[in-house]
Amino acid sequence: MKGKSTLASLVVLLALVALLPFSVIHADGHCEFADEAIKIGGLVPLSAPGSVAGGVAMSWAFNRAVDDINADCGVQIGGQNHRLQIVIGDSEGSPERGQAVVERFILEDEVHAVSGVYHSAVGLATMGILDANGIPTVFSEPWNDNVSANGIMEYDGRPPRNADGVDHIFRISPASSMVGGVVVDWLLAEGVDNVVIIAENTDYGQPAAADEKARFEAAGATVTQINVELGTEDFVPILSRIQASATVPDVVRILVTGETSYNLTQQMAELGIAPTVDTICVTNQFAFQSEQYWENVPDGNYCTFNRVGIIPSLFSDIAVGLNADYFEEFEDIIPSFAMASYDALHILADGMERAGTISDGAAIVAAIETTDLELSQGRYYFNYGNHNDSMPADDGMPDYFWHQWPDPVVTMMQYFEQGQSSLDAAVIFPEVYQTHGTGYMAPGEMP
Amino acid sequence: MVIEDSLSVWWLLLAGPLWAAIGLYVLPRSQGKIKRDERIDVSRLQIAGLIGGFALGPLGLGLFYLLPEMIRRATLILGILIAVFVSSQVLVRVSDPNVPSVLWLVLAGPLWAALASYFIPRHYHDVDADDNNALTAAALGGFTIGPLIFGLMWKHTPKISRDWMIVLGSLGAWQIYTLFAIQNPGNPCVQAPFQVTYLAQQTANGVVIGCIYSLMAVGLTLIYSVQGIVSFAHGQLYMVGGYFSFYFLLHAGNILSELTGNEITVNPIWGIPVAGFIVFLMGAAFERGFLKPMHDGLIERASEYAILITFGFGFVIEYTTLAIAGPFPQRANRFIEIRRFTFPRTQITEDFSFGPLNIIGDRAFAMIVGIVLIFGLLYFLQRTWTGRGLRATSQDKQAAAVTGINPTNMNTLAFALGSMLAAMSGAALIPIFAWVPWVGAEMVGRSYVIVVLGGLGSVPGALFGGIIVGIVEALGAGCHPDPSRGAAYKEAFALLIFALVLLLKPTGLFGREPH
Repeated sequence: MKGKSTLASLVVLLALVALLPFSVIHADGHCEFADEAIKIGGLVPLSAPGSVAGGVAMSWAFNRAVDDINADCGVQIGGQNHRLQIVIGDSEGSPERGQAVVERFILEDEVHAVSGVYHSAVGLATMGILDANGIPTVFSEPWNDNVSANGIMEYDGRPPRNADGVDHIFRISPASSMVGGVVVDWLLAEGVDNVVIIAENTDYGQPAAADEKARFEAAGATVTQINVELGTEDFVPILSRIQASATVPDVVRILVTGETSYNLTQQMAELGIAPTVDTICVTNQFAFQSEQYWENVPDGNYCTFNRVGIIPSLFSDIAVGLNADYFEEFEDIIPSFAMASYDALHILADGMERAGTISDGAAIVAAIETTDLELSQGRYYFNYGNHNDSMPADDGMPDYFWHQWPDPVVTMMQYFEQGQSSLDAAVIFPEVYQTHGTGYMAPGEMP
Repeated sequence: MVIEDSLSVWWLLLAGPLWAAIGLYVLPRSQGKIKRDERIDVSRLQIAGLIGGFALGPLGLGLFYLLPEMIRRATLILGILIAVFVSSQVLVRVSDPNVPSVLWLVLAGPLWAALASYFIPRHYHDVDADDNNALTAAALGGFTIGPLIFGLMWKHTPKISRDWMIVLGSLGAWQIYTLFAIQNPGNPCVQAPFQVTYLAQQTANGVVIGCIYSLMAVGLTLIYSVQGIVSFAHGQLYMVGGYFSFYFLLHAGNILSELTGNEITVNPIWGIPVAGFIVFLMGAAFERGFLKPMHDGLIERASEYAILITFGFGFVIEYTTLAIAGPFPQRANRFIEIRRFTFPRTQITEDFSFGPLNIIGDRAFAMIVGIVLIFGLLYFLQRTWTGRGLRATSQDKQAAAVTGINPTNMNTLAFALGSMLAAMSGAALIPIFAWVPWVGAEMVGRSYVIVVLGGLGSVPGALFGGIIVGIVEALGAGCHPDPSRGAAYKEAFALLIFALVLLLKPTGLFGREPH
């Protein structure tokens, strides 16, 4: 009799164990999670010709954000904790591939929201699909102005996304014009008159170059623009052309990303074009990854670069922690797009929690519009959306401020010692952020 | 002959091509109805339709339809008349600096070239003359000296020697340069007296990078010549060679530093043989494992198999490297501590100075490495028994086997050597370019162009092909009238030359003529 009872208990116990995964509530450490997880699509480039380094850093940041949010019992909706789950998709930096991945996110993975996007071309190609399918989206890196401006203005024959009353697209990376404005203001303050812009042939490089060129020309400067293909390795012929021009340029501005920018900057330095006493070298934010920069641009001392994101000396506790983990993983300083990707997931999670839903896109959008969160890059909020009766133009602001985080810090930085960490590099502009009391150091000078 | 009213010129340009298109379509299809004892071949009818329609419109087409015996002579005369008309327009337009003459300039040369390259080789064939290189000479001659080429080649049908080609080629280059100078007086490539230095600088840039291109292409051509397959893993072998060198230098430096107590960096020159040796073994193992069955007749569709298996091999290498090395760009230390070699400005005459000329130090070093390796390979192929065995196998496998050469071993050796050369070029370039796991994609595309341009299977062809591609890219990027496009179209310039060479010499510059 006792044997039968033991056997029955064992069967019941085994049945319970077997059913455990199917229970409504899962226990996970100190948290209990509901069965339904929140799926976020992370669209990043993980294959060439996309910027794989950027995609890897963004994926790392997504996973780190998911771990942090789940460790804090996920997203609480209707009294239940929902586990956050990231579904990474490889855009390959290609608009067509990005569209295919987004369609897979929506139709197969049934994601509740999307974040990421490194290349502007991918952002421009996918934003319409995401909006049409009601997927709340926070882009963390594309810079093209129209990514946010298309919310309220026509772009490339497409009507404003907000025409139906809801625009599902937000952006927390800066618009190109926000960055270009800082770079041009600084260079004009330095008195440059003869400018060479080398820009990549992409939806990031060309509009950014056009914007900066217009600003320089409006100030009376002469601009020569040279377009290059991403992935080009040898720039010496075109650099020789710059070297042979009748007048020495005051500045060479590089609007090229990834390893292509490293090759270009190094070859420019090797040929003695810039940085020199006569010519300022302005490379892009990739220079901020100082380990990579010095390995690939050993002659790039005294190059300046634009930096997006809070300056290292003002890093918050969240940023310090993120940077330490990133350094442990990749042995380099965390780039802004990784911080923005981390923050984007928190913004989405916060929006869902405040909206009290994971599937009502319009309600989540309304909640995100009223975001007020302190994260790794600073305080996040959106001035212009359906929560505000004013349009950007009413306040004299450009259209790209729609659903755009208005406060990405854009600074100009400069290395002044060989092999210097970007944490020690000088912030030279805007003046309010200057760390070494100088607006620029010509080669050989010290702060 | 000269039509001053530009409106009628446009009408002519519009109507002529329209009738030419109709003639091109209609006349060959009327072949069966044309009354002749002997049918005229289709290509001749196409040309007749094209030229007759362009010159005389419906009248010309009707004439050829009713009087087919006139086709041969009349197409030649009408073609020459059209070319004369266009050439006269060229002269008028060029002499008037206010009129953009690019269209006319572009039209006249190629028109004479097309006429000459169509009629002259056929004439050589008809009179049973040696027509070797007649097509190339006729095209070059038509382009450069217009109708005079008919006078030179028609009556005596001279044998076309290399001197002919050199003279006509140089003349063509000079003409293109002159026309370019007329159209772009402010371009740095033509602006006297500065243009000499600038052209020398761009040519030097092209030669330096071209020698480096050649080294990679040589490996590809070696594999093709012996195995008859194109390795689609070549770019990845180039890439992985760079990484092998990088990690060897890193670890060797660390070990030496630990042993000596001082920080020691190993010169990248040592990474080249190490990378070459490792990839040689990789290539040999791959050949034995995956390509040998193909040569043993175990694979049904061998050529498709070769493409797929080498493509797959490349894929595995690229993604394994990505998993191990990561996506972040890396670069080895310099070969030499001299950033650039500068030939200083030198005053040649009172009005003319030459220089300065800059060559980046590491590139110059890599170029020397490339040249040494290529000549080493040539020595190996020409002067050693094994090298001769490879050449014999590339010419005739069965005959080589009869003389005691083992074709199976030669196949393995060729693939391993070709892979090794790709890896060594990668190891030579990792101090020059930022290195990522997909770095081979751009380089390998260029290598295919170089190999076909130089002649499939020809080692000297790959060397000269690489230099030509390097120079054309440098001059194209440096001389394009619009600097913003010059850089973006860099690779397209090489493809243009590639297409032109293949059009005139389908076997490539040094390729073997088909038996």
